[in-house]
Amino acid sequence: MQAIQASLDGLAARQRISAQNLANSETPGYTAQTVSFEDSLSAALASGDPTQTTIATGVTSDPPNINGNNVSVDTETISMIDTGLKYQLATQEMNNKFRILHDSTRQDL
Amino acid sequence: MSMFPAFDIASSALTTHRIWMNAISDNIANINTVKPMSEAAYQEKFIVAREIPSAPGQPVGVGGGVAPVAVQYGDATGTVTYDPTNPLADKDGLVRRPSENLGDQMTNLIIAQRGYQLNLAVIDRAKSSYQQAIDINGR
Repeated sequence: MQAIQASLDGLAARQRISAQNLANSETPGYTAQTVSFEDSLSAALASGDPTQTTIATGVTSDPPNINGNNVSVDTETISMIDTGLKYQLATQEMNNKFRILHDSTRQDL
Repeated sequence: MSMFPAFDIASSALTTHRIWMNAISDNIANINTVKPMSEAAYQEKFIVAREIPSAPGQPVGVGGGVAPVAVQYGDATGTVTYDPTNPLADKDGLVRRPSENLGDQMTNLIIAQRGYQLNLAVIDRAKSSYQQAIDINGR
């Protein structure tokens, strides 16, 4: 469950950054940001403690256009769809975990 | 983004078509740009697109999309036009106009726009397919 929670946190952060990038798609001089957490989550899982996952932000290296902005609206939109689907998968898995927990505490079986 | 590979592939095509549309719009924007004989005419821009090979772990034969790799330039001589009243004209009254053809540009613009729309349609279909796969489990 902690692993799923770390994954949900990372995906939510990525969704926020995508929203921020899209909000600034016309801001002069704005550089699009990215979120990475998968490698850290994988390493944290390998060491046995998923709560150690860190969410890192970076910047994209795409070339800027005339006003110094380098947000790619199509890439960000697809990232939002992709992240949304992954978030659904993770929440479903979390629901499954809770259902098992809930079923195991029922007395009326 | 390798959990949903169709997104990566269609996304690369969206980017490529967008860059192509940018190049076409620059070509159209400069269709009336006049240069003196001492300089090169405005050169039409061509985007060179290449397919991206399969990512590791993908089945052989399924590619990785498309990427714009280079810009190539058209004729620098342009169309030499006699226009003696133009302030840029040389002593013989000649100036350089671009040799590009508006019909070609508009045709390419339609192709690029349709290509962009096609790939958006692919993303839409892929999204609903992936969504249904996610919903298999759902109660």
